[in-house]
Formats: sequence, C-alpha cells, structure tokens
Amino acid sequence: MMHIITDSLAFILPLLIMAIGGIFSEKSGVTNLALEGLQGFGAFAGAVAAALCTAHLAPGSAAPFYIALLAAVIGGAVFSLLHALLCIRFRADQVVSGVVINLFSLALTTCLAKSFNRIFSHTAQNRISLDIAPQLPGGFYTFELIIIALAGLCWFILYRTRFGLRLRACGDNPNAVDAAGLSVERIRYTAVIISGGLSGLAGICFAYSVTGCFSSAVYMGYGYLSIAALIFGNWTILPTLKACLLFGLAKYLGYELVKHLNMPSSYSDLVMILPYAVTLILLIFYSGSTRAPRALGEAFDKGKR
Amino acid sequence: MNKTENNSETIVEFRHITKRFPGIVANDDINLAVKKGEIFALLGENGAGKSVLMSILFGMYEAEEGEIYIRGKKEQIDSPIKAAALNIGMVHQHFKLVENFTIAENIIMGAEPMKKAAGLFPVVDIDYANEKIAALSKEYGLEVDPTARIDEVPVAVQQRAEILKMLYRDAEILIFDEPTAVLAPKEIEYLLDIIRRLRDGGKTIFLVTHKLKEIKAIADRCGIMRRGKLISVHSVADTDLQELANLMVGHKIELTLDKKPPAFGENILTVEHLTVTDRNKLPVVNDISLSIRAGEIYAIAGVSGNGQLEIADAVAGMITPTAGRITLQGQDITGCTVRRRTEAGIAYIPEDRQRVAVVMDMTLRDNMVLKSYYRPPFADGLFRDTAAADTYTAAALEKYDVRSGQDGDSIMRTLSGGNQQKAVIGRETDLDAALMIFVQPTRGVDIGAIMNIRRLMLDLRDKGKAILLISMELEEIMACADTIGVIYGGEIKKTAPREEWTIEKIGEYMMGLGERSKANE
Repeated sequence: MMHIITDSLAFILPLLIMAIGGIFSEKSGVTNLALEGLQGFGAFAGAVAAALCTAHLAPGSAAPFYIALLAAVIGGAVFSLLHALLCIRFRADQVVSGVVINLFSLALTTCLAKSFNRIFSHTAQNRISLDIAPQLPGGFYTFELIIIALAGLCWFILYRTRFGLRLRACGDNPNAVDAAGLSVERIRYTAVIISGGLSGLAGICFAYSVTGCFSSAVYMGYGYLSIAALIFGNWTILPTLKACLLFGLAKYLGYELVKHLNMPSSYSDLVMILPYAVTLILLIFYSGSTRAPRALGEAFDKGKR
Repeated sequence: MNKTENNSETIVEFRHITKRFPGIVANDDINLAVKKGEIFALLGENGAGKSVLMSILFGMYEAEEGEIYIRGKKEQIDSPIKAAALNIGMVHQHFKLVENFTIAENIIMGAEPMKKAAGLFPVVDIDYANEKIAALSKEYGLEVDPTARIDEVPVAVQQRAEILKMLYRDAEILIFDEPTAVLAPKEIEYLLDIIRRLRDGGKTIFLVTHKLKEIKAIADRCGIMRRGKLISVHSVADTDLQELANLMVGHKIELTLDKKPPAFGENILTVEHLTVTDRNKLPVVNDISLSIRAGEIYAIAGVSGNGQLEIADAVAGMITPTAGRITLQGQDITGCTVRRRTEAGIAYIPEDRQRVAVVMDMTLRDNMVLKSYYRPPFADGLFRDTAAADTYTAAALEKYDVRSGQDGDSIMRTLSGGNQQKAVIGRETDLDAALMIFVQPTRGVDIGAIMNIRRLMLDLRDKGKAILLISMELEEIMACADTIGVIYGGEIKKTAPREEWTIEKIGEYMMGLGERSKANE
C-alpha cells in the first residue's frame, strides 16, 4: 500500500510544481502551453549535468542528483526566456509560441543528447541514463520534500508578497499596473522565467522517477496534463493540487488493479490512458465554472483605450 | 521661472503645449496657468483635446512642443510614475482597476505597506492598508469597504476607489476625466460634493467634462477647448450656460427643441406578454405589453437595471424571451435572427456601443457597412464591393458629422466616444428601418451632439418612423417622447401620453411608488 503512495507522489508532485509554474505565468497574463517543452529541456539539462558530475565523483554520491536538479531549474528558466521574448517583447501569438517551443524542445534535445553521447560516451544512442534518485526511509524521494517546500513558498509569494500582488494584477488588468507606475513587462518576464525553472525541476524529477533516463520519452504530455490541472484548479494552487492528486491516483490505482488481477501487460498500456481520460471527463463537469485571468493571452498595449 | 515667482499661487502652468496625432493636431499651442486650490474645468466637444492635455499632464503622452511648470519649476513628465512623484493623480474615464482584487489591494498596488512575517519575510501588510484606507475614506466622506471586491461593488464605488488611490498617494493635483459619465443623478451630486470638499482641503482639481451644469455647479474657472485650441478662460460665476455652450461649439446653438404635433400612423411594433428571465431564472422583464405606432416616440423611463435594456435586447433579437410575442408590421418576429429582424425593419442603437454596435479594431468604413456589407450595393454575389462602401462611408461621415483622423480608414478605437456614437447612429438611420430603438443615445456625448441627436430622433418620427427610446435622462424623455411608460422591477407601471406626465410623477413611478396600473391602457 505504501509504495502506491510514494510512487504516485513521485508523479503527482512534479506535476503540481509544473502546474504552479504555469499558474505564475498565466496569472501574470502570459498563456504558457510551453510547459511540456520546458520540462523536457530541464530534464535534458539536468541529465547532462548529472552525467558530467558522475564521472568525476565517487560512485553512490547523491551530489550529482542535486546538481542535476539545479541544472534543470536553470535550464528550464533559460529556455523559457524564448517564450518570454516571443510573447512579451515581440508580441507573438502566445499559443503558437508555446506549441512551437514544445516541438522545438523535443527536436533540439534529442539531437543534443546524441551529440553529447558521441563526445562523452562514444555511443550513438539518444538517451542519457540516470542513477536512482536518493530516497528517505519509508521510500519517499528527497525531491518530493523539496517540491512540497517549494510549493509552499510559491503560495506564499503569490498571495502574501508585494511581487505576488502585482503579478496577479498583471493578469487581470495590466493597465492598472501600468497606471500604478510599475513595469508590466518586467513582472511578466519574471513570471515566465519562474514557470520555466519550476517546469525544468518537474522534468528532471520525471526523468528520475518515471523513465529513469533522459530520452524523448520524457515528452509524455505531462506538461499538457499540468495545464489541465491548473485550469481545473481555476488558476489557484490548492485546487490545482486536488486535480493533480486525482490524475495521480487515476494512474497508479489503475496500475495496481492490473497487477492485482494478474492481467496481461497489454492492460497496463490501457491504464496509461487513464489520466487523459479523466481529464476529458473532468472537462465536461468543470467547463464554465472556471474563470481564466481576464488579460490572459493578450500582449500588453499601453495605447489601447 | 520669472513669471511664476511673481504669482506664488500658480501650481500648474502649460506653456505652448502642442501634441499631434496622425491627421489631427490634438493640442495646438496651449497656454494655461492654474492656481492652487481651485477647481478648473476643461470644457469642450468630443475630440476637442481635453483628455489629451490631461494625459500630457499625467505623463501618459509627451508633448512634442512646449513646457510644463509644476509649482514654478519646469518638469519633464515622461511617465505616470513621474507624475505621481510630483503629487499628480488622475481618475481615468475608463477605470484602471483589477476586478478580482479588493478595493484596498487596488489602492495600495505599487505603494504597498510592508511588514515582516515571522520577523523575516517581507509581506504586504493588508491589515494596515485596510485601516489606513478606512481612515482616509472617513476623512473625505468617500464611503467604501476596503475589503470588498471591485467586481462586487457598483460603478460609483469603483470610482471612489480610484479617488482614494490618488489620496493614498498624497496627490495634490487631481485630474478627473469625465467623472460623471458613468453615474446616476444622485451619485453625481455625491461626487460633486466630494470634489468640493477636496478643493476646500487645499487640493487643486482639473475637471474634464462636457456637462455644462456640473461646471456651473462646482468649477471656479473654466477653459474652453475647440479642435485642439484653448479658446478662452472664464470665471464661471460671471458666465452663463448659454454663453458657455455657444463658445464650446463655436457658433450659436439652440438649446430648445422644436417639436411638431404628432401624426400617428398604423401600429408598427406590438409586444405582447413579453417575459425575459436572467441566468438564475428570475424574471427581469415580467409580462410586458406595449405597442408603438408610426410617427410615435415611445419612451421607457426608469432607474437603470429595471429591465428596460432587456426589453430593447429582446425586440432587437439579442436575447431570447422566455414567453411572449413580438410583432413587427403584422409579421411575427419572435423567433427570428437578428439579421432577419434587421431586414424586416429594425434599427438598433444599443447602450454599450463599443461592445455591441461596433468592432473596435476594424476600420470606420467596415463598421459603417457592418449590417449591410453582404447585400448590394456593398456586395456582388460572393465578393464585397469596397469601392461602394468607400463612397457610402465618405458621404455618411459628412452627413452625420463624424470626425476622425483618417476618414474611412481610421480604426474605430481611435475615434472619440462621441464620434463613435455619431457613426453608429448614422449607420442605423441609413438602414431606413420602420422601427428604431435608441438606448441611451446621448450618453457621453457633448451638448451640441445631444441636441443634434434629439433633433434627428424627432425628424425621424416626423417622417413616420416608430421609435422606442430608452433613457435614464428624464429631461430627454420629456423633451422627445409622445408616449411614456415607466418601468419598475421589470413591469411597466403606467403608460400615458406625454402631456399627462410631469417629471415628479415619473419619478414617483420610477421608485415604485405611484398607484399600480395595467400596462398599455
């Protein structure tokens, strides 16, 4: 029973922190469909850092893991600058930018992973293997604690600090922020970069816990799932956690069921569709009751009356 | 420096301010000195450049030529931040408020009081903010609940939040841009009282308006602007209304209407037992019947929000009634689409013209043919005939005196509110419909245009159109209507010819007082 909880948390918490990243971006008024690509790029950056460190450190050390987390956050944040620049500076269509960044990230990291392997391990494969993530007694991963702490911090920033207040205002009426003498652009840049960093963190956690390596398999659509979670959560953190829990339980209870009934492995593929099926069903019930930030998706135009 | 030092009272001085927009000189060599502690009104028609001059003072636009002196010192006001640092505040015509924030959160944004949580983390001290705002609101008589959310309070309270925003930042020079356009008569009195109190407290106030009565009521001096130029400055006490009106439009205007005796024809519109319910299935229009004849102006009077807008929307086909029958010239149109109704002979000037009547990001030309682009002469089979639209638009803009920067090519958004309204009224009039629905047709337009719109309505009536007029301005209803129905709580309490009404009597029925009588006697 315990391992269901630990396993599903290893899926739920990265999903949550990525969704929180999405909340930051979208509450500031920037639609962020690029979460999928950002988490993939973060996973790649983290895996590269881990591989480089492992070679120089004693075997069994946990240091590469934490360095990988840090690298993933930085990688995701840097990559998100692309989305920020396109949407804020160049006023590109935010949906198109997000989708294209996802495609771009997949192609770019696959290609880079190949080159990386060619240089460092002299193989032609496009996956970068990872060790097992450090665990605490009871089977919890340390990254789960890190994410819980970060999620709490994010809530605090969003609802208690000056920056959070201004960020949320940007998503509803950027003109009000501008009239208060603040820079809408700067707040939105920061918000998108935060979403990039958090997505990168989620990506490397998925790579450690779900796939065990970096490969194109980390692009499993979890980024989109986290967007669904934040929308069902009405762009607020606690209800988003509930949505993530639901997705996670749908996934892992399904696995357990298949295992318990000794069903052939082909059924576990069936289980893979559960979180997505749940999303579709939730859409029926939640449509209409959610309220997106009013200025979401609109480039800020000072001159508009 | 030299001149201003002599007069220590001068707080704001514009010198040779000029600002151009494509095709228009919005401010043309403006020179003006305003004294500390006075209410200075800027009066002018729509598009005269009042708002632009104030936007320059508030740092939203930069003048191409000229200088601004604040407290005798030359200042470069290049952003609202700079303006705020000079203690200049502005209440914009369209409020700049975050709807899902509380009043307090809106007021403090950008100047948040902070405290340390657990002695370490800086957090916004919302309790202190609530207290300080409650104190400010008491001091100036601006009643608000700091913890109420903006989208849950009425417009008048939102405006108070905007005023408090300036006071919270210690503004001493307060700019009000058309502050009364969104308010009901009682709220206007309340606001004027507040403005007076602010002046008595030593603040300097700029009031941008085109409502002469308000200027007469509170302003000390008044500057008149016309087509970008400051024509003259007057002491309000020594100038009468008619004189100000004439100066504003640049020629003598007739403030009285010439209403001919009516010549009613056959029934054009018949509404029977109309009921409209809102989202919660509660009736907003409750079993209303009325009929309008050719050559008749039927006006619905009432306090805003009593169902009058829903009647207009239901007749125009914007909302589906729950029950009832709507007949136009003998034809049942209850289930028809908006286009079928337009073709059957309904023209509609809605209240919210920016949202319903026009597409703000399209050109004036496309907006002018928005209801007829698909049929000759503006379309030939599958294709639009833009040349025909061009010709029509040029003529219509001339005919209805719509002023814009680049004629038909102007984007609707760039037109001033009054010119947008003139364009919509022109387009709808040219539909030559048997029934015309006017909702708040003169809201937010200047005195010259108001008289023109009223005259146009009477002219259309004399030509045999049936007109449904919905207005919150009793004066307008008394001046134009042939028949008046007063609505209260979704029901028309009494319908009678204009001669049988007085303003006082309408007022009683509007408040739900007068005796209950069957609609459409």
